[in-house]
Amino acid sequence: MNDSALIIVLLTIAFSATLIGAMIARRVAVPLRPIAAYQALPEIAADAVESARRVHVSLGSSAVGEPGTVSALVSGEIAYQLAERMAISPYPPLVTLSQGTTLPLAQDTLRRAYEIRQRAAYFRPTQVAWYPQGPRSLAFAAGASSLAADSDVFTSILLGRFGAELAYFGESAVRHDQILIAHSDQPAGQAIAYAQSDRPLLGEELYAGPAYLTRRPLHIGTVVALDVLRWLVILAILFTALQAAL
Amino acid sequence: MRRHRLLNFLATATAMIAGATMVIGLLSDPGSDARTVAALVIQLVAVTGAIAVLLGILNLLSVHLGRFTHAERGWPYSLLVLVVAVGVIVLRILDRAAIWSGDLEGEQLSPRVFEAVQVSVESALAALIVFFLVYAAFRLMRRGVTGWNVLFTVTIVVALVGWIPLEDLDVFAELREWLVRVPVGAGARGILLGVGLGTVTAGVRVLLGQDRSLRD
Repeated sequence: MNDSALIIVLLTIAFSATLIGAMIARRVAVPLRPIAAYQALPEIAADAVESARRVHVSLGSSAVGEPGTVSALVSGEIAYQLAERMAISPYPPLVTLSQGTTLPLAQDTLRRAYEIRQRAAYFRPTQVAWYPQGPRSLAFAAGASSLAADSDVFTSILLGRFGAELAYFGESAVRHDQILIAHSDQPAGQAIAYAQSDRPLLGEELYAGPAYLTRRPLHIGTVVALDVLRWLVILAILFTALQAAL
Repeated sequence: MRRHRLLNFLATATAMIAGATMVIGLLSDPGSDARTVAALVIQLVAVTGAIAVLLGILNLLSVHLGRFTHAERGWPYSLLVLVVAVGVIVLRILDRAAIWSGDLEGEQLSPRVFEAVQVSVESALAALIVFFLVYAAFRLMRRGVTGWNVLFTVTIVVALVGWIPLEDLDVFAELREWLVRVPVGAGARGILLGVGLGTVTAGVRVLLGQDRSLRD
């Protein structure tokens, strides 16, 4: 099977499983396995509103138009869910990122969240802060974590693409007694997220976020598709290993 | 409201068409029309990226100008950012105008400034990461001594000891190499596979025009 055929098969399975999963989710409640980070997010938003403090969401170097596009979109969706819950507070969420192409996405996400809660007048584009990207984004991490500390943030949520610079966010979160929820679609960042975060998100768990936070049938359908694809890959690996061994 | 719905429809249609174009282009033979159209879409993205950097700079200046004018906590740092940003822009303009004379004739100062400041600062920051990670491993064990946490900490210790260039510690160096080659390599591939599958399923949602960024 060549690459084109593999892509077609993969997309067909993903489309079919998503639609079938969405149809099932419309008829019956599909149970999702608990993920600590997603269980905590609504509580974090509520605590932020009640305690009049801010939440920091960083999208790292997830870039629209580059390999991290889908990470950026999913992280944006999770930021939307938080911002919608926090829009009634005078202390808006702070969003930081290091890719210019993600900046309009982040600003528009916050604007929509404020509009849906009829608080558009309180939205400020400067709630989203862009930092120029260095070779390892360390300057971004230092600047963004310092801005979060200055903004009296009590929780930092790091979603998307991070490398070793994630350690700075983690260290700053520890020093300022912040809750840290972290994820990275890069192995180096993921390892640091596991070590430093109170509730880390691992690998593909990021992409299941919208299903956990919105419970929309189509989003649940994508989680079903993710599980189907995951089992197919596991079976393919086992089959190939057995074939090689025999 | 009607205008918003029309804009949402246009955004959704554009995203779906661009997505379908890219998928068809990637599946087509090199040199085919579909591949050429896909390449054109990628070029458009590159142009948009360049504009986005400009937007980013404006955002950076407005965020820090706001912090400075409202005297928010940490405003001196914002002032420093503004001064440096303006300084670098002026330096770049002077470089382009080629006004330097004497020893500096024909030189570009802005890349030199970047090398001298940015690269050295980032190198210094990079050197600190190892301490943060060791402390993170310590905190991990304080949170709870689970099997996974012990494995993580032992692996860090073996990796760090494996770097020590002493003959007696060769066994640790070999163990570290094996760790990196086998379990770490497998784990990294597992994470990347998971991310890839997640990207496919979330991409399906975008191709169906159901992503939040395309609708109110």
